[in-house]
Amino acid sequence: MTNNNQAGIYIHVPFCVRKCSYCDFYSRPLPDKDDLERYTSKLLREIEQQAGQWANRCFSTVFFGGGTPSLLEPEQIHRILQGLRQHLSLLPQAEVSLEANPATLDASRLQALKSAGLNRISLGVQSFRDEELKILGRIHSVREARQAVEDIVASGFDNFNLDLIYAIPGQNLDDWQYNLQSAVNCQPRHISAYLLQLEPFVPLARQISAGRYAETGEDLQADMYDATVDTLIGQGFHHYEISNFAKPGSECRHNLIYWQAGEYLGLGTGAVSFRDGQRWKNRETVSGLPDESDSGMIDIEILESMNQHDRFVDAVILGLRLTQGISRQQFIERFGIDFAQEYHAILEKFRRDGLLIMEQDRLYLSRRGYFLSNQFMAELL
Amino acid sequence: MQDIIRNFSIIAHIDHGKSTLADRLMQFTGALSDREMREQFLDKMDLEREKGITIKLQPVRLNYRARNGKTYILNLIDTPGHVDFSYEVSRSLAACEGALLVVDASQGIEAQTLANVYMAMDLNLEIIGVVNKIDLPGAEPDMVKQEMENVLGIDKDEIIPISAKLGTGIEDVLEAIVAQIPAPRGDEKAPLQALVFDSYFDAYKGAISYIRLANGELRKGDMIRMMSSGKEYEVIEIGVISPYMTQVEVLQAGEVGYMAAAIKNVADTKVGDTITNANQPAAKPLSGYKEVKPVVFCGLYPLENSEFDKLRDALEKLKLNDASLLYEPESSDALGFGFRCGFLGLLHMEIIRERLEREYDLTLLATAPSVIYRIQLTDGSEVYVQNPSRWPDAQRIEHVMEPFVKASIMVPNEYVGTIMELCQEKRGTFINIEYITPHRVLISYYLPLAEILFDFFDGLKSRTKGYASLDYELHGYQPSDLIKMDILLNGEAVDALSTIAHKEKAYYRGRALVEKLRKIIPRQMYEVAIQASIGNRVIARESVKAMRKDVLAKCYGGDITRKKKLLEKQKEGKKRMKQIGRVEVPRDAFMSVMDIESDK
Repeated sequence: MTNNNQAGIYIHVPFCVRKCSYCDFYSRPLPDKDDLERYTSKLLREIEQQAGQWANRCFSTVFFGGGTPSLLEPEQIHRILQGLRQHLSLLPQAEVSLEANPATLDASRLQALKSAGLNRISLGVQSFRDEELKILGRIHSVREARQAVEDIVASGFDNFNLDLIYAIPGQNLDDWQYNLQSAVNCQPRHISAYLLQLEPFVPLARQISAGRYAETGEDLQADMYDATVDTLIGQGFHHYEISNFAKPGSECRHNLIYWQAGEYLGLGTGAVSFRDGQRWKNRETVSGLPDESDSGMIDIEILESMNQHDRFVDAVILGLRLTQGISRQQFIERFGIDFAQEYHAILEKFRRDGLLIMEQDRLYLSRRGYFLSNQFMAELL
Repeated sequence: MQDIIRNFSIIAHIDHGKSTLADRLMQFTGALSDREMREQFLDKMDLEREKGITIKLQPVRLNYRARNGKTYILNLIDTPGHVDFSYEVSRSLAACEGALLVVDASQGIEAQTLANVYMAMDLNLEIIGVVNKIDLPGAEPDMVKQEMENVLGIDKDEIIPISAKLGTGIEDVLEAIVAQIPAPRGDEKAPLQALVFDSYFDAYKGAISYIRLANGELRKGDMIRMMSSGKEYEVIEIGVISPYMTQVEVLQAGEVGYMAAAIKNVADTKVGDTITNANQPAAKPLSGYKEVKPVVFCGLYPLENSEFDKLRDALEKLKLNDASLLYEPESSDALGFGFRCGFLGLLHMEIIRERLEREYDLTLLATAPSVIYRIQLTDGSEVYVQNPSRWPDAQRIEHVMEPFVKASIMVPNEYVGTIMELCQEKRGTFINIEYITPHRVLISYYLPLAEILFDFFDGLKSRTKGYASLDYELHGYQPSDLIKMDILLNGEAVDALSTIAHKEKAYYRGRALVEKLRKIIPRQMYEVAIQASIGNRVIARESVKAMRKDVLAKCYGGDITRKKKLLEKQKEGKKRMKQIGRVEVPRDAFMSVMDIESDK
């Protein structure tokens, strides 16, 4: 697994054909072609504006997320990547990922995306059962998802991820095992398996509280998680983050930057950036297109300004999401703080309870600890 | 002067419109301009307005120009309507010559109103009947008037129909006060005798007493003597409340007002005491009232042990305004250091707790309320226990006595069966049943006070669709077959969860209690065993399974800040829990032992 000091670039594309019933991300209804083009030129201008501030950073990843970034034309993605290469130090071997909805892909688009410079696709499959896709409010069918996988492979993308969701209302352990096995059969290099966790305001949460769907109980959720870890490890995946699994060497480099508390530049409406201990966000807008000041700069909102200790806490909380955990020596070098001393009492307590393991230089969550990690992380704050 | 004074109270059940009527009287007589008017003016505490009840008395002086052309001074002494505060009613009444009895035209007389009217009759007060809320669709003023005549002997033709809400009939009420309530007949030349009917603490002026002069006069600068203690003070300020405090030079026999005399402690202006002139003292004090004693006790503990001193300061300050509040330090293995507090009833307890939290910014944990048990020990001695964790060992107990009340329940006759069933369930002894009208009955029972405290009132309301009303008075101690039941969490007895139960009901109660606790105690990192035991015998067991999930499944760059806020919120939530051994118990778990019935 890589561990470098390079930064990542995140590009948010806040448009969707339809918002999924569980989604709490910022997204806007599908705009017309002109709007997508306008959004692309705004992104290009933002890249130019940011160039100066980020001149001394090296970027090793680009991640198109959303919304549904696969709504952009391959040609537009090509121009954005060109813009990045022109104005920022983007490494030649950078990981360049695109989140894609199966309904938005076809063989020719995929080939064009490949030529544009993408080298990783993250496909939002979520489930291999149509009834579950319907509950989730997805716009694609299982058939489309399988077709998309075929096209991805045929287009020469050897590195792709499948996103799955478990604990969908009505789903039992066998249903989930079926989904998992179906995903494995597609031979992806990476699988993200997420527990369905709903913000109270999303449509699916409201349907559940109205009694339309039954909520999945805690024990079944935990059984599903255990099954996920067992199955995927059994199939040769490396369980490297609470919800993420990869064939060795294919861990998502972009996401690793987040979990290793690295820096990132967020571009586009609603995107978040992190640099020098400050986290800020491009303001979300009603149209999805950025509101700009007279100077043409995008309106931002500071989320957090952190001192050294805050950054240290951040890094501990994020780093423990990784199964490799965190290194005592590295943290001392990076923050001047020894977590073994700083958190002595808490670490002891959770070690006794079997949630944490401290081994020479490394602190990491136990197998039981992953799914109970909030218990520990809340106490660190 | 006295012939233009009328001193009166208003007697009414909760929600029958007493405070609204008081508002209208003030408005009509111009004591308050429409601009100053806000609802429930005399209920100064936020809590009073929120709960729609009156807790503290608030006298007010009104100037009324009557139809006969003369201007009268009307002193209205507001009264609380809840049974917990019935002693405050008796104080108000003792300072008056008359009372308005306000009855809701759609509800009729309630048990408690009845008790208060009898109290007023015992004091020879002139009673003016008023039927309120005649504007409501369900109003049956004629039937209610008939009921008042049958039950209380008030001439139904003299009862005044009003709508305090709309302001109809207000002038009729004022005229009746002037015409029917006798003027005070004190002797202005005699030595001073003034009854203290309430007092409170003011940060600037010290203790302030509300007084009613029976005889003599009181001037600023006078030396006065408190007749119970003999302590003497110089009067700094006297005045009337109209409805704001207004200083006057002299108060005379028959008048109602306030007095400040640089008295540092409210305990030195005991309610019911008589004030006299130190240089020309009266021979005898006025007859006071019997001192009220708390009947309900609970432990109040700061959730953070470090807030113990803050809690003590807060209790000291509250006590200045509320002589009926008792407290003494105690400690619990489970909860640390706190105070055992005594209250007049559950409402009083709830109010004190809320005031402590709101006005003094404390987070408190309250244990389940308890009454005082009298326990005869085998060595011949007797102990009083109001904290279940201090219950003596079973083999040392000869027998146990618990306080009983005589309860009066007024209810439409179709509910007689269900009420009797409820009273029977609560270990009641039937006294009698009385038809006060063809449709309404008054049922009397002897009941253990502890049963009334727990959930009797909720049961009463739910069984009668809210039509029953309850009044009770203490009725001595009787032997009962009581035992202590302990609650164990992971094998450790938690003293703050111990309760006293009747032997025959202990098994059922233990079951209900552990089930309730299982629902209240959240899943933790380890399984939590909850047991109820009597002596060493476990009678019920439940367990809270170990927590298996507490995770943020997704955490990426864009939502790190938000996810940290979720974790912070979770940490805040944990602070609201009490750590007992390795178990985290929500703070309301301790009170839960009292209301297991209502969950049935």
